[in-house]
Amino acid sequence: MKASCEHHHECMKVIQRIIDREATAEEEAAFLTNKDQCLPCQEGYALELSLKKAIQSKCSVPCPEQLFAKIRAKLFLLFILISILIPLFC
Amino acid sequence: MDVSVEEKIIPDYKAKEIFEKEFMPHLDAMYNFALKLTADEDDAQDLVQDTCVKAFRFIGSFEPGTYAKAWLFRILKNNFINDYRKKSRGPSKVEFEWVEQSISSDEEYSEPAYFADLHAETVQDMMGDEITAAIQSLPVDFRMIIILCDLEEFSYEEMAKILHIPIGTVRSRLHRARAVLKEKLVEYAKKKGYH
Repeated sequence: MKASCEHHHECMKVIQRIIDREATAEEEAAFLTNKDQCLPCQEGYALELSLKKAIQSKCSVPCPEQLFAKIRAKLFLLFILISILIPLFC
Repeated sequence: MDVSVEEKIIPDYKAKEIFEKEFMPHLDAMYNFALKLTADEDDAQDLVQDTCVKAFRFIGSFEPGTYAKAWLFRILKNNFINDYRKKSRGPSKVEFEWVEQSISSDEEYSEPAYFADLHAETVQDMMGDEITAAIQSLPVDFRMIIILCDLEEFSYEEMAKILHIPIGTVRSRLHRARAVLKEKLVEYAKKKGYH
């Protein structure tokens, strides 16, 4: 297995496109064929995948419950204002 | 407001119906995006409320059946840049210039051969707060693109529309942002003694 990759910068771009589901089928097939022979690409793939998964699973917080109520109250006020003002100018 | 279509009047009952059905389900995602941009819970709530009011005002320009989440995120991003950033302790002009410089010199930028000090297992062991802190420390343009792509899973095309940049810039900015995030995580892992 290769311990260094001469195209690593380019490989990382392809790896990220694969993880983002933006790579072409050919790019993905070519990468998966060569992945097992290249340690930096193998590790790079595992790192990018774990980082994306960690962001998705660990960096999300629920919206505070009172925000739903605040927004509905604000829109209700806006709705009332529109209902009162529009007939005055029409 | 920077929306590409003009404001149209639609009946109020219909506006309320669209709002509840199409927009309210994305409130969690909007709050998360706002929180990462502002790094303050109260500011994030204000930003989401302002965005909702603007979305309601311009609801006539929204086409039901199209991707409401992307439409809302675009309003939120514009709201943050045009209004909110001016009156808050948001990112400075210098910060934006630094991002643009680093993007325009993307060709010359050479990232480390590979992140030998950062492994998948290290990232898996990190706490959410630690990863969030590393994301928060990025310049705002990098922060935005990481959240849109990795947290909210927008496509490159959708991100190009939300951020109003060419798709090639989405690719290069995302690649650069991830490299800087990994550099931050390497520093963090060393400091905290992760192996």
